[in-house]
Amino acid sequence: MPAAAPTSDLANVADAATTPSAVEVRGLVKRYGEVEALRGIDLTVNTGERFALLGPNGAGKTTLFSILATLRTPTAGSARVLGRDVVTERDAVRRELGIVFQEPAIEQRLSGRDNLLLMGLLYGLPTAAARRRADEILTQLGLAESAGRPAKNLSGGQRRKLELARALVTDPKILFLDEATLGLDVDARRGFWSHVRGLAATGRTVFFTTHYMEEAEVADRIALIDAGRIVALDTPRALKARLGGGVIRLKTDDDAQARTWLTGRGFATDADAAELMLVHADPAAVLPELLRHLPVKVLRAEVHEPSLDDVFLKLTGRGFGSEHASAPPGGGRGGPNGRGRP
Amino acid sequence: MMLRGIYAVVVLDMKRFWLDRARLIAGLAQPLLYLFVLGAGIGSSMGGSMGGGSYKPFIFPGVLGLSQLFTATFAAITIVFDRQIGFFKAVLVSPVPRPAIALGKIAAGALQAYLQGLVVLPFAWLAGVPLGLGPTLALLGAMALASVTFSAMGVAVAARFTSTTVFPIVSNAVLLPMFFLSGALYPLMTAPRWMQLAAHLDPVAYAVDLMRGALLGRFFFNPWLSLGALTAIIALLTWLAVRIFNRGEDDSSLGATNFNWRR
Repeated sequence: MPAAAPTSDLANVADAATTPSAVEVRGLVKRYGEVEALRGIDLTVNTGERFALLGPNGAGKTTLFSILATLRTPTAGSARVLGRDVVTERDAVRRELGIVFQEPAIEQRLSGRDNLLLMGLLYGLPTAAARRRADEILTQLGLAESAGRPAKNLSGGQRRKLELARALVTDPKILFLDEATLGLDVDARRGFWSHVRGLAATGRTVFFTTHYMEEAEVADRIALIDAGRIVALDTPRALKARLGGGVIRLKTDDDAQARTWLTGRGFATDADAAELMLVHADPAAVLPELLRHLPVKVLRAEVHEPSLDDVFLKLTGRGFGSEHASAPPGGGRGGPNGRGRP
Repeated sequence: MMLRGIYAVVVLDMKRFWLDRARLIAGLAQPLLYLFVLGAGIGSSMGGSMGGGSYKPFIFPGVLGLSQLFTATFAAITIVFDRQIGFFKAVLVSPVPRPAIALGKIAAGALQAYLQGLVVLPFAWLAGVPLGLGPTLALLGAMALASVTFSAMGVAVAARFTSTTVFPIVSNAVLLPMFFLSGALYPLMTAPRWMQLAAHLDPVAYAVDLMRGALLGRFFFNPWLSLGALTAIIALLTWLAVRIFNRGEDDSSLGATNFNWRR
């Protein structure tokens, strides 16, 4: 049933009695030898929700994704997809999932149609039905014309769409997308997401990881993950509201002195070293004052709405890495200091 | 789901094989080299010492076995590529049970080896082998058993590897000795005692002997022993392959490069 996309915090309270949650993770721990990739993850994804998992490389996104996709087993804790345990009821979970991987998972030398046909066979469809289903999906995603060509001859955007088509052959109730649009240009990304939005509108749950902030914005809720833990889980709006107001970024000829001065006047500056970031309830009003009184020369100043990246920075003290599209032009943060902290 | 899974894996592999169908022709080079160069050279030097028959017909079943052995091994090696990239990840998250992947791989490799054998078969006529209806039918059956044996061998071995760089080593250290010890190129009957004993441990020897016996009526092993040995080998290796694939449940990194069935 196409449950209304929940937007309030009430959505956190799983209504387990009536419908099983699409995804339910409790105390999930995964260790690789000494390394603890997940250190106790709890989250609930509601049916019909678009849910984004956001975090820097190495945060544990892929590990969590792999466990939910039944490709790895947790060290401790449990994970359920549509009420089924990903370890003990693995086959049932596999039947329900449609997955688009970060890396290509189509046979490049075979045609799109053959790839989808094989997918149907893998899920137990008889050949004729698999063929019919393949054509249906190809038409639906606008791939029918190029479906006879070897996949390697398709454009990057078409290949990604073919991955989506592959995931959809079995008509899954849940769609898992792992960095599904990585490396695509803006147009191709937009095309891909318009299809995903269409799928979500029909009541499918979409659980995805992404590096692109504007993609995360379309999510109903976002979980920010860092160093194997969920550091925040909320709607995009609520997450940004946590910053309270807006963000001012300054570049001066002496950031250290400016920081001291700002801190002395009660402004909360962020620890990020590359530039000064401060959060204020009314940034546009306070900026002229700052510029007039700062004892250092201001080279650049900008005011913007808080982005998810800012939220992440605020919560964890570091940025996301270099691969996000919505970084302000020239904003050098997320460079060398963006990752690599233990 | 098991049977459908096997079927899906076989269809996948055969579709890919069909893209490379030129390999069926290229795969003729090695057996024909043995048959018409080695066979002509050695055959003429041996005169009539083969106990009545001439040399080329004698080694024909051995050469047939050789082509099947290498085709099956090559098919099995695709497992290593599969693990690293591509469609196989989709297979791994599908409800197809892991044993079905192993069985499908064995079936597909056997099918390819059999096809390669069928391409070599007409050269029997050039080698001077009489192809009567009865012996040919018996040979086709023996070829099937040989194909499955070689494929199960390949899959059981390849499933342990994570890199294809070891393939030439395996080929030289395992395949060629098995081929040379099998009596494919000389009669085991007159071979030194230790070679006869070694042949008893060589699956290729049973397969080649069975094919030769079917075609020429000359057996070294009792055909029932060969049938039993090959069936037992297939059962054992298939069980082994299934076990290896089964262990690979907590293994497939989405990063794909470190993907290891065994963990």
